[in-house]
Amino acid sequence: MSRFTITADDVDLAQLREDLMHPGSGGFCSFEGWVRNNNEGREVSGLEYEAYTELCMAEGERIVAEAIERYGVLAAHCLHRVGELKIGDIAVWIGACAAHRDEAFRACRYIIDEIKHRLPIWKKEHYLEGDTAWVACSHTERAHEMEPPHRHDRHEGHSPAHEHGHHGSTTVAFTPDYSRQTRLRDVGDIGQAKLSAARVLVIGAGGLGCPVISYLAGAGVGTLGVVDGDVLDASNLHRQVMYDARDVGRRKVDLAARRVAALNPTIAVQTYAEPLHAGTIADVFAHYDLVVECTDDLASRYLANDAAVLTGTPLILASVYQYEGQLQVVSSIPGEPCLRCLWPVQPAPGLAGSCVESGVLGPVPGVLGTMQAMEALKLLLGLPRANDHALQLVNLLDGSSQRLPIDAAGGCALHGGCVAVARRAIASAQGQRDIDRTFARLHDAIAAGYAIIDVRDAEEIAVQPLPVDSLCVPAALVAAGTVELIEGRVLLVCASGKRSGHAARLLRQRGVEAYSLAGGLTALSMGAET
Amino acid sequence: MTHVTLQYYAQLREQAGASSEQVSTGAGNLRELYDELRTRHGFSLPIDALKVAVNAQFSDWSRVLVEGDTVVFIPPVAGG
Ligand SMILES: [Zn+2]
Repeated sequence: MSRFTITADDVDLAQLREDLMHPGSGGFCSFEGWVRNNNEGREVSGLEYEAYTELCMAEGERIVAEAIERYGVLAAHCLHRVGELKIGDIAVWIGACAAHRDEAFRACRYIIDEIKHRLPIWKKEHYLEGDTAWVACSHTERAHEMEPPHRHDRHEGHSPAHEHGHHGSTTVAFTPDYSRQTRLRDVGDIGQAKLSAARVLVIGAGGLGCPVISYLAGAGVGTLGVVDGDVLDASNLHRQVMYDARDVGRRKVDLAARRVAALNPTIAVQTYAEPLHAGTIADVFAHYDLVVECTDDLASRYLANDAAVLTGTPLILASVYQYEGQLQVVSSIPGEPCLRCLWPVQPAPGLAGSCVESGVLGPVPGVLGTMQAMEALKLLLGLPRANDHALQLVNLLDGSSQRLPIDAAGGCALHGGCVAVARRAIASAQGQRDIDRTFARLHDAIAAGYAIIDVRDAEEIAVQPLPVDSLCVPAALVAAGTVELIEGRVLLVCASGKRSGHAARLLRQRGVEAYSLAGGLTALSMGAET
Repeated sequence: MTHVTLQYYAQLREQAGASSEQVSTGAGNLRELYDELRTRHGFSLPIDALKVAVNAQFSDWSRVLVEGDTVVFIPPVAGG
């Protein structure tokens, strides 16, 4: 079915709407353009649309396809009337359905703006006084021009990256003024040229990532990669200072790209809207000179460490807890210590405090992220740095800071060296990717033959019981034996997918065909079970 | 008894209710010291999830305590 229609016939609204119904939709949005009884102070009795039909069809199809691609909606359609219309008639109908409402709204908006702007359609107004006039339909302001240019991710191949900046429409004529930093004798024009040629990947556009991205963009780091799979939550705003209240619900990679474009339009931004995984991370790192790890996720930190060591890419790690933080620079130079030299294996989830569970004061990631930005600039510019490899501890309550030197000889060196350890870890992480399963509804998992095991605590289950039959085994007890009696495959479920993932790995070691609900209950479609 | 200064980070600071304290201990090495503190403060973290440093150097848990040592316990943290 074509996605764009030009017709002189009446509109069958019910049919148009029904044609867009899609089982994966959580939201449908439609826009109707009506013929109104006045225009620019004159009373209108009706109007007439005339179109260059062939061109309209091709361009209309293209616009709807762009909206689908751009916002990732499931389906969209646009109909434009031609011929004689009277007051109250529908002149344009646009509908879009998507998994979530925001994309549907934005796709609708995009289509109407582009239609008005690009389609060769002329409007002849009939006035009450009896005369007529042709009115141009174009020259509308396009809301999406305020957004960073982006395409919706398709994740084909292994590099779901999207370029912003340089080639995008947000680039404006602006000459950055770096004089305050080039005045530093150790920076100068040569240092500025180094920054402009540099490519830095920032993993996580949250509390740590905001200062990192802002300072590196401001300093003129030529290419910034930004990885983040999350959308902005209102609870992020106290520490994630690049974002505005009106941005809640939007993808952080897009917001970060928009922020960089606004701050320094000369920077090229490459966005990755899904977390990097073991299968692709080394390929992504190979495109960058330096990586800054800014997530609140231990698994991501270990994966980044392993990929950095394997690709020889310097990595700047930081993490925060309540009022304090830790910082480690991994040079990825043979013989110098990595994250695993200090903490050989990833602690079980729950052992390491997170911002969600333990709370954090906004300036704490601000300080640590700023320190990461500083380390990044020092590395890129070749500025003097501490000559030991240390874990730096910063306590912002009492203002103390200490550097604890890491002895490379006592770490990975005892297990074949950092590179060998990283290679084994990446290989095993790749195997474990197989554990995650994505479902929109738990009913779908049951239909697919999975037995559901709820690994949440009793209190959590009491607050939000599962809508399907399940066996309740708290994560801590999952290895105790009950689950091993179940035949066939089991799907472990928790709130976020972290505990269930960990438990599923434990069960795999015991021969159970265990999977974990990716993203946990929060990733299920809202209300889809009922 | 050995007199030592203890510094706590992250979850340990929270559970001990202080960033640092001075203690007199009968513990011979760091492992025994942590076990003693675990009982006293109700620390939830197992020893193998922690790093320990003495006088600004990472140490082995079997290190013998010396009068006047400053001992720092460091848990992994994940926030960002
Ligand atoms: Zn190492």
